Amino acid sequence: MIRIFSSLLLAALTSSAVLTVKAEPESDLWGRSLVQIESTRHQYEFFQPWSRRTSSNSKFGVVVGGQRILTTADYLFDHTVLRVQKGGRGAWYEASLKWIDYHANLALVEVEDTGFWTGLKPVKFADPVPVTGEAKLIRWNDGRLEMRRLEINRLRMGRSALSYVDLPQLELDSEIDGVGWSEAVVYQGSLIGLTTSQARSKCTAVPSFFIEKVLEEVEQQRFLGVGYFNFYWKKAENPAVLDYLKLEGEKRGVIVTEIISIPGHETRVKPKDILLKVDGFDIDITGDYLDPVYGNMMLERLATRGHWAGDKIPMTVWRDGAEIELEFKLATADYNKEYVPSARFDMPPEYLMAGGLVFQPLTEPYLRSWGSEWQRRAPVRLVRLKERRPTEENPGCVLLSLVLPDSYNLGYQDYRYLALDKVNGMKITNLPELKHALDHPKESFHVIEFLPGESVQKMVLDAVQLKSATQRVMFDYRLPTDYFVGSKDSEP
Amino acid sequence: MEAAEPEKSVIQIFTFSQEPDWDEPWNSSQVRRATGSGFVIEGNRIMTNAHVVSWAKQIMVRRFQDSRPHLAQVAYVGHDCDLALLEVEDETFFEGLKPLPIGVLPEVRSVVNTIGYPAGGEQISYTSGVVSRVELINYVQPGNRSLLAVQTDAAINPGNSGGPVMMDDQVVGVAFQGTPGLENTGFFIPPPVIQHFLKDVQDTHYHGFPQAGIRLSPLINPAYRKYLKLESPDLGARIDTLMSDSAKEFLREDDVLLEANGYPVSADTTILYEGNQVHGGIAFSQAQHNSKVPVKIWRDGGELELELPVFVNYKDRLEGNQYVPPKYFAYAGLIFTPLSRDYLSSFGQNWSSVAGIGLLYELFYRKNTEPERSRTEPVMLSTVLAHPVNANMEIRGRVLVDSVNGKRIDSMTDLIKAFESHEGSHHLIEFGERLGFECLDRDAANSANNQILQTYGIQLDRQL
Repeated sequence: MIRIFSSLLLAALTSSAVLTVKAEPESDLWGRSLVQIESTRHQYEFFQPWSRRTSSNSKFGVVVGGQRILTTADYLFDHTVLRVQKGGRGAWYEASLKWIDYHANLALVEVEDTGFWTGLKPVKFADPVPVTGEAKLIRWNDGRLEMRRLEINRLRMGRSALSYVDLPQLELDSEIDGVGWSEAVVYQGSLIGLTTSQARSKCTAVPSFFIEKVLEEVEQQRFLGVGYFNFYWKKAENPAVLDYLKLEGEKRGVIVTEIISIPGHETRVKPKDILLKVDGFDIDITGDYLDPVYGNMMLERLATRGHWAGDKIPMTVWRDGAEIELEFKLATADYNKEYVPSARFDMPPEYLMAGGLVFQPLTEPYLRSWGSEWQRRAPVRLVRLKERRPTEENPGCVLLSLVLPDSYNLGYQDYRYLALDKVNGMKITNLPELKHALDHPKESFHVIEFLPGESVQKMVLDAVQLKSATQRVMFDYRLPTDYFVGSKDSEP
Repeated sequence: MEAAEPEKSVIQIFTFSQEPDWDEPWNSSQVRRATGSGFVIEGNRIMTNAHVVSWAKQIMVRRFQDSRPHLAQVAYVGHDCDLALLEVEDETFFEGLKPLPIGVLPEVRSVVNTIGYPAGGEQISYTSGVVSRVELINYVQPGNRSLLAVQTDAAINPGNSGGPVMMDDQVVGVAFQGTPGLENTGFFIPPPVIQHFLKDVQDTHYHGFPQAGIRLSPLINPAYRKYLKLESPDLGARIDTLMSDSAKEFLREDDVLLEANGYPVSADTTILYEGNQVHGGIAFSQAQHNSKVPVKIWRDGGELELELPVFVNYKDRLEGNQYVPPKYFAYAGLIFTPLSRDYLSSFGQNWSSVAGIGLLYELFYRKNTEPERSRTEPVMLSTVLAHPVNANMEIRGRVLVDSVNGKRIDSMTDLIKAFESHEGSHHLIEFGERLGFECLDRDAANSANNQILQTYGIQLDRQL
């Protein structure tokens, strides 16, 4: 009995000791700079594009100059309400999005209520960012400021969380669970990054030197977006390849293997060019250049090292047995310039329903409806269309995604996942074109043709009855509209 | 006591087989022992399943209640219909054995008996059941063919394969496959398929089951029928895609197939065959290779009668299971082999995931989606056997070859020619699909070739 009492007393003292310890100065500092953000968002169901659910996520942001909150762009898309909280507890304040860039994975949030800003202090960015050593991860956890140790592993180039471009990333080793919600990563009183993801004991963060440059551009209202090299390259570790390309002198450079064609964008390198220098830096046979601050970095870094979309970067390439100088124009990261857009944000799914036939643009979010293994589970033909590059004449693809059964579409109820080629003789690459084509039937029929290789090539509908059938299906299946193409502001 | 007659003519088959290693095509798997069943037919031959004797190095047969084994060999094999005929070297084997007569397609609900040597014992086994249904199903042996089959609830187990399914002392089927996960469900190959196979081999060569080279689509929607000016509300299915050259010559897309081989074709693409509603494709597979099938077509608002030539489709062999040793070419440690379903299945149980979309698309889809860019026999760089001559190559295998020395590779023959006719200082091998290309120093590659073959125990540099 005595023993038990002693243990309880000890536990009480210990716990009381933890609760009553005064925060360290560093905790004070970060407690006044780190805020919690609550984002309530629409979640769309692409298999039924008119339905939606909502969900809420909690993440973090840091106070920056000009009374704004900096955070990652992730989980802010399709939001309906944004709220922020300071000090890890207390009142929530209504917030709004000031600026966001999904490719850069960064956003600025504003709060109108001036009371919110009282006591808050902007963070200091570290520049340069340390690439080894011990850093701290800081986040609010149940009203307490949690400060945990992280090991800085390296600085590397990696795929941005919401984009197809490679950006600098800090790789950190950590045993902490549930990281990747824009927690602050700090080092000696300065912010060195915001976390973006976690895989087992490794997490990544967007480094502060990149954030700072982006914010400068945004501040000056000249941010043109993230640029990238729209080509694939391979290492030149096989000397036979360099011999074949007749490179003189020491083995160096990497070899361009494929150009990612973008309508309206001129790409001045060609397959089998050897990239020798990019922006004045020598490229070695593994594709690295020697960064004056961060050492060996992959050449993709040179697309964002003081450059933005549309900038021209000097390159030295080896082509046809000679060195030539050229200027490479950085491509603009833009989901709308992909044949199958890899993302679409802040907009409900687009669709057109005609007589029970539901048509949708083919997008990666649609393909992701097959789950995390969508590349294996979605129809191969559709996944393969991701490889297709857009052209001026054929910029995108529309699907007959499903059929809502009705007497009008008898015999077609099982048709789904079919890529459109033509409707009433007109090539279809987007929903407005489809709508236009359906306004121009062939005599009293609509003739719908699918791309070669689809499981069915053609279907015919009664044009006279289409309107009444569409109205009936809308009513029976409770669709808010039969046609939605637009933006966040034009929701169905 | 003397056994009843049919049992005497049911044969037990033992095989020792060895399958190729599709990933390292000069290698083979371990020798495997298996058993199956068969039965004697006219002409001193034993009928069994193709899958019983596939890849067999040695086949032994044993008569009912006779322990003596006899060596047998394959006379004819039809992998598409999973049937084979065996001959026995010792002619005395057939003495006293009566050939079992082949009957007709049994009706549903009729009672049938299977006889054979299934797993679980050494003696002959009998099971009985009813005919549950008759329809076209996918034959597992080819993997990409559907032919007529009969479903029964008579137990059909491993070892039963190739044994007869009897009704009134006549063979009404050859037991051949089951469906994993379904209880009391076995399938047998019915007399129309057996008779087709036997007729096919009469000219001493097996050709196979022909196809019309068309894809039929249901024509149920009234608007589409009105658009095609069809009068009947339920007769005729639409020809959606023309896939073979002969179909393209004689037919047009949007032709409506009203009748095939004398069978009226319903709007849902089926025909009434011997009292069973089955897919209309059967009307064409009844014919022999390189023959003509009478068809009645609806085109431009009127009826048209045609004789449609039908052929066996050999072009899609790579998409199904193959039963010939894999082709390969070994050069400077680079092993090339055709892309095939068998090759992909060497990637393991989850082969389709491991293979990835690119290879699946190339093998199964491209011929339909982009026929102008498809290849007759896509060639893989299957692996790279390490040697200093190739050690710096970044690509180490499992990639499709696009071109060699600037020549597009459409087949293994193209590949070998592209290497052997090249006179430049380097070989250029291009892969496409973002993978770029690799080079080999030609002189160094030629010098290293024999040494690499020796090091890795490859007897021949090619098998075609």
